[in-house]
Amino acid sequence: MTPSLNIANAADGDALLIHAYVDGELDPANAAAVGRTIAADPALTAEVARIEALRRVIHEQLPPAPLPAHLRAKIAATIGERSERTQPSWRQLAASVALAVALGSGATWLALSSWHAPMSTSADRISVAMIDGHIRSLKAAQRVDVASSDRHTVKPWFNGRIPQSPEVVDLAQDGYPLAGGRVDVINTAPVATLVYGRRLHVISLTAIPDASPPQDPTVRRSIKGYNLVHWSHGGVAYWAASDLNTAELIVFANLFHRAASGS
Amino acid sequence: MSDYRKVSFDRIVTPYLAEGFALAQWLSGNRADAEDIFQEACLRAFRGIDSYAGGSARAWVLSIVRRTAYSWLASNRSPSLVAIDDLSANECAYAEQGGSGDIVSSATPEAALIAKADAARLNAAIGALPVTFRETFVLRDMQGLDYREIAEVTGVPVGTVMSRLARARHRLMMTIGTQQP
Repeated sequence: MTPSLNIANAADGDALLIHAYVDGELDPANAAAVGRTIAADPALTAEVARIEALRRVIHEQLPPAPLPAHLRAKIAATIGERSERTQPSWRQLAASVALAVALGSGATWLALSSWHAPMSTSADRISVAMIDGHIRSLKAAQRVDVASSDRHTVKPWFNGRIPQSPEVVDLAQDGYPLAGGRVDVINTAPVATLVYGRRLHVISLTAIPDASPPQDPTVRRSIKGYNLVHWSHGGVAYWAASDLNTAELIVFANLFHRAASGS
Repeated sequence: MSDYRKVSFDRIVTPYLAEGFALAQWLSGNRADAEDIFQEACLRAFRGIDSYAGGSARAWVLSIVRRTAYSWLASNRSPSLVAIDDLSANECAYAEQGGSGDIVSSATPEAALIAKADAARLNAAIGALPVTFRETFVLRDMQGLDYREIAEVTGVPVGTVMSRLARARHRLMMTIGTQQP
């Protein structure tokens, strides 16, 4: 959304825009303009620091609690027995993964795509889809749906948009600043993509829940100057697509991997 | 038929049960009331599952919890606790006076103090917010909804969400970010 507020002469609008900026609710052009205004004004910079401190302390001190078991049981009893059956059982899942692995080459891939289409995808098609998604985002007016360098803004933004929010880590210190996130679609399923920068390069990092074993970062494909690095960790398969050279893309992958396993 | 409803309930409502209960707790201010409200809200969602018309399932579920909370509190608790319309009116007047005046007031909250607040202090400060500010703050900073979803849940324009959120945060920052006397 784009608030129709004039930052230059609306005092109240200023305050609201700063909140919208911190919340990742501004489009990239407005976000950049507001970001510059904030950077140039110590009072606004301090206000942003306070808003971020508030959000962080809430996040740390009052984390979301799971639904108490007795309430879940009461709801299930009221509604019926069905709520037990929403998720595929572990056994079904394992069977579908095993089937996918048995059916094709490129076991890792099929394990991940088996969630949606066990037999109809190949490793090549997913690699190409990842790179296509990256290129499409570079051509789009807006390469992220949520523009923010604050991981506490980007991670919760995914709640309710995809089944599982991705790990979001801050790699600005290492020269890979977070730019935001978006929802991509791979194999008809919505997936989380984080966007990082490296100098003038853009890195699209797609995270897909995946049952395959952990795997260290490796270069999977290089197509028309775009490189694709893949790794798996903690039940998630990661795909990093960029026109960045493979060496730095692998460095990025390792940094992300280390930070995500540490947190 | 009811089997189909159960499947829909699991798909649409079940993923947001924990958030729904948390919202009921923040709105009612106590756990026992929240449990009653929450169970009634789930029943309403189940019965009304056919009225879910796409869009954010999360916003749909939370708006049912919110409406249930207000009607439950209105019939089971003293009106002073639930005077949502009065509060809205107050707050409108408040917002129309122009919001940012107190942001630059002499007592400036400090980020370092805010960062040190503990759970008890935060709970108390959030609980003391007027309910319209409280729900907006909880939906945004605790549950991570975006402005559009909050507008949908609370039934107000995005601009109102923005001003309530700014005021809620400002009050909290003043409460926890300035030295205690």
